[in-house]
Amino acid sequence: MNGQITRNPKLAWREVDGEMVIISPEDSQVHELNETASLVWKHAEGKTLDELVEKISAEYEVARETARADLEELLAALGEKQLMFVSPEAKG
Amino acid sequence: MEPVDNCLPLQISIGSVPLSLFIREAALLEPATRRYREFRHNSENGFPVVLKKPEVVLKKPEARTQESGEFSYLLDDARLILRAQDAEFHGVRHEYALDSLLRILLTMVLLPQRGFLLHGATVVRDGRAYIFFGRSGAGKSTVASLSPKGSVLTDEISLLRYSNGCWQAHGTPFWGEFRAAGQNRLVPVAGLYLLKQAREERVETLDARLALRALLPCVLFFASKKYEHETLLRTLLGLVEQIPCHRLHFRRNAEFWRVVAA
Repeated sequence: MNGQITRNPKLAWREVDGEMVIISPEDSQVHELNETASLVWKHAEGKTLDELVEKISAEYEVARETARADLEELLAALGEKQLMFVSPEAKG
Repeated sequence: MEPVDNCLPLQISIGSVPLSLFIREAALLEPATRRYREFRHNSENGFPVVLKKPEVVLKKPEARTQESGEFSYLLDDARLILRAQDAEFHGVRHEYALDSLLRILLTMVLLPQRGFLLHGATVVRDGRAYIFFGRSGAGKSTVASLSPKGSVLTDEISLLRYSNGCWQAHGTPFWGEFRAAGQNRLVPVAGLYLLKQAREERVETLDARLALRALLPCVLFFASKKYEHETLLRTLLGLVEQIPCHRLHFRRNAEFWRVVAA
């Protein structure tokens, strides 16, 4: 899992007090991200998982292994909800 | 205003949006004239809305904004087609369908003008508007019924719009249980109150995120494009950054004013 991470381009979103409020225009479903997920939403766009792990572990003084495990879990959850994707082409 | 198909318009204004309704059928024009009597407004610049016979081809139920910018919405057998310069209502058989399509039309026209419709009662007190909002059954009509006569701008659909440097609540002809004609005036907004039935009167202040989360399900919204939702989010955030938003716990009696006005 090291493809490029992208937000679902169809979604409308705004940051409110550091947390993301996201609307899916197709069904008007509203999603709210917690602080951690909001952080990923803000910083992950266009990055690979490796790059994101590097950034998060450096900025928040978290062990890389811990950051990677948490990020993989989070990205999987965001993917399930069709909020963020990890592009399959670049998986290595 | 020039006649369309030899039909003179019924000219109204809702939320400071002038509309010229071209209604050919007397069976519909009469109840519409009665229904919107408090919102009559002579203007040369009313946005033309032409009522037409039912169409037979288009039957797609979803809201749709095309690349050209034309928006269309099918509601039961009636359809709204909205373009930049005018709108058409097809297959409107009674005043209630007309009322519903007008609401949808207004949500679209108001969207780029920092305005929107909200499931809420608007009550004026000391020259300022209090918006009590919530989904069906939340207590909007109850709040309206517990408020002094003449102070209620609507018991069902509130219209909020940013103009002249502040947020204003406009009266609407869209009523619920009260079935009143409405009042066509605008009043600065004092506060927003999400209704929650409880055993005591209490006001709980909501931060911007909670306020946005409370408002979103109560906004009448029919658009389906990303930029339209972004515009709505921007508008609502602008509102909650300027106007305090609360959750109002209340017992369905007039005691709630004690905590609202405090």
